[in-house]
Amino acid sequence: MENILEASGLTKRFHGLVAVHDVSVQLRRGEILGLIGPNGAGKTTLVDMVNGTLEPNAGDLVFEGRSVRGLPAYRRAHLGIGRTFQIMKPFPGMSVLENASIGALFGTNGGERSIGRAREQARECLAFVGLGRRIAQRADALGGPDRKRLELARALAMRPRLLLLDEVMAGLNHVEIEEVIEDIKKVRDQGISILVIEHVMKAITSLSDRVFVLHHGEKIVEGSCGEVLRDPRVVEAYLGRRRR
Amino acid sequence: MKRAGAAQRLPEPPEGEPGARGAATRAARRTALALAVAALAALPWIGNTVLVQFGISVLLLATLAQGWNIIGGYTGYPSFGNSVFYGLGAYGVAIAMVQYELPFWVGMLLGLGLGVAFAGLLGLAVLRLKGHHFAICTLGLALVMTAIVSNLEIAGGNIGLVLPLLRSEVLFYELALGLAVLATLTVLWLSRSRFGLGLIAIRENEEGAAVMGVNTTFYKVIAFMLSAAFTALAGGIYAYHITYIDPVGVFDVVLNVKMIIMAVFGGPGSVLGPVVGALILSATAEVLAARLTGAASLFFGIVIVVAVVFMPRGIAHLVRHIGPAGWRYFIDNVRTHRL
Amino acid sequence: MVLLLQVLVSGVLLGGLYALMALGLALVWGVLNIVNLSHGALIMLGAYATWFLYTGAHIDPFAALPIAAASLFALGYIIQRGILNLVIRGPMFNTLLITFGIEVILTYLAQLWFSADFRTINPSYAGSNHALGGLTVPYVQALAFAIDSVLTTAMWMFLLRTRTGRGIRAASQNLVAARLYGVDPKRIYALTFGLGAALAGVAGGLYGTVSQINPYIGGPLTAKSFVIAIIGGLDNPLGVIAGGLFLGVVESLTALYVGPTYRDVASFGMLVLILIARPGGLLGRTA
Repeated sequence: MENILEASGLTKRFHGLVAVHDVSVQLRRGEILGLIGPNGAGKTTLVDMVNGTLEPNAGDLVFEGRSVRGLPAYRRAHLGIGRTFQIMKPFPGMSVLENASIGALFGTNGGERSIGRAREQARECLAFVGLGRRIAQRADALGGPDRKRLELARALAMRPRLLLLDEVMAGLNHVEIEEVIEDIKKVRDQGISILVIEHVMKAITSLSDRVFVLHHGEKIVEGSCGEVLRDPRVVEAYLGRRRR
Repeated sequence: MKRAGAAQRLPEPPEGEPGARGAATRAARRTALALAVAALAALPWIGNTVLVQFGISVLLLATLAQGWNIIGGYTGYPSFGNSVFYGLGAYGVAIAMVQYELPFWVGMLLGLGLGVAFAGLLGLAVLRLKGHHFAICTLGLALVMTAIVSNLEIAGGNIGLVLPLLRSEVLFYELALGLAVLATLTVLWLSRSRFGLGLIAIRENEEGAAVMGVNTTFYKVIAFMLSAAFTALAGGIYAYHITYIDPVGVFDVVLNVKMIIMAVFGGPGSVLGPVVGALILSATAEVLAARLTGAASLFFGIVIVVAVVFMPRGIAHLVRHIGPAGWRYFIDNVRTHRL
Repeated sequence: MVLLLQVLVSGVLLGGLYALMALGLALVWGVLNIVNLSHGALIMLGAYATWFLYTGAHIDPFAALPIAAASLFALGYIIQRGILNLVIRGPMFNTLLITFGIEVILTYLAQLWFSADFRTINPSYAGSNHALGGLTVPYVQALAFAIDSVLTTAMWMFLLRTRTGRGIRAASQNLVAARLYGVDPKRIYALTFGLGAALAGVAGGLYGTVSQINPYIGGPLTAKSFVIAIIGGLDNPLGVIAGGLFLGVVESLTALYVGPTYRDVASFGMLVLILIARPGGLLGRTA
């Protein structure tokens, strides 16, 4: 299987503090790759560098065979990189439908030119995540779980080839988590490659083909779910060193 | 920064299939607007000179408010520097006609070019700033331009320039009307085009817009240039009409505040709001000036304060939402925005 | 050389006054997130209050300053409590607009009460100078400068050391948290705006002793205060002092070496350049 994304030696420093250090990772086409790690491990920073919200200080990033380093975020969106934000960034004064329409109008390949077709596409994505009945509401009138759904629908409406999901399940209840897990599986079945950051372990184990672990900004392990979760370094990162 | 544009509403997405009734009302509305424009165009043959004079001034102000609406209302960048484009448009006409004895329309093109080029170049630098910082930087630009033009020999320095006199109020009126209509049609297009939705997305959440594929820098600069184009053309018409311009007069920061007040009073981010705002406020000011010669500015100040307190989202919002709530609409506004 | 030094001295003296003018604006902006377009009008009223006390009641202008400050404090407190508190959570345009409206009203009232004529505050010692090794230092300006420095330092101490000062700083950082610790935001906001107005009042009184006044000086003074607040940042009063001195010196140097008509090009051009290059102000972060 070829790789859709190859990150090599990505490093990001903030005022001397190293947030991500020399991380190399590959994402295969059609795969779901899980990214876990304790709070402050640099997970969101890594995703920021992939979609162009942040520029790395060192390292390279190859998407579908071409380097995207230095490209602004909107160009990467045009190439087919979509993402959700842990701290959501909706357009508060727009309706739910308009929110998703922006993704359809401007996403991959510059998006749809016709507003009518973009609305259609947005409607489909909203129905897919279960917001079909809320399309006329203002985005800032939505509750927490619905905001998460909107965040996902907006990214899907971009028709991305690579989807970066930053904690889309935080704050959801068990039933809702099950729904989102099924949704994500369906998205993958459409041929979209996915990088998923999640604290909900159940989601990681049931979704991910492979998992890698960040700790203090460095990649410490990579492999199948079972291997990674049994790895003593991962246990240590999450629980701390056992006192002897 | 407080979100600048949160208060504005978008055109309602058409729900389901646009029914025959929806199409009928839209056609009716379009006809009504066309009739209104035709009636306005006929005004010089019906009304007296005073009314035509007032019309010219209102239409120019409406154009300015509409120009500001593009960058301030739609894109969410509160420009205090639009008076620069007005001044450049006015000086374009004045310099072309006085110093080079060129015809008026060449001057208009010169002013347009100056304004748009200035907006493009400066926009790249200043549109990276947000909120108050953008507002103040553009205010600074307006003050710098006043000072620079006061020192330019070709612009007549401090003294200014006297343009050739053309006694044709009708021509100026129809020009101003045409420009105001063109500006409003442009805003109408913005309200329902891909480009306009991109601008609104920038206003609502710029980073979110970029991540979803909006080329934010390009969109902002184009919006600024569009805003500058209408403002500069209005400045050009003003200069030829008034026949005398000086730096303090046409780079006037107060004029810029007026544009904002009219757009915000009418409803920023709406299509007709700025035009209605310009009309109502100009008419109020005119009546006040006639009735209470001295105290006009006092009442103007009071109108601003009262309007901001009780209808902070503008006339467009008021018309759409006052409904059965009646006077409680005003109380609720105060409730939501007070500390 | 002496000329250059003389220009520097005048620049610094002017800069002290500028700093005091900007201090109130920066305080209100930093804490309340209101860019107060009526700040210049408050300075203008402070100048008229001092002029009125001097010509009407023959109170020495420097002795009249506390009275001017107190009246302006009361006015500012009422404006914030009665008007601005009602709109403060609305869109940003609205606070800009409403303070502009207040400026229009204050300017009108000043013109009504004091007429549009130019006024000067001319105490007997107005023209006297102190000669200092070839340099002339006007007494009035030196005294004004001393008051500026004292007030700015006092302001800083107040914000840093007193309970109310801490309440103000807490409110500027996080209103919800401040409320939890028993800060009443309505009162704190009104106090802060009142303080800003009082500072404007003193600045106005001092401005009146060194320059002519009329009801329309407000607008340009607001603009100048902006420039200084932007140069100095909103973090602490020392930044504002530095900003004021810097602007005073640059304006004086430009007037000497380029020409007096280029003074405004220098100060406002600097504002634009600084904002583009360093949006956080020359010295540190802005709110």
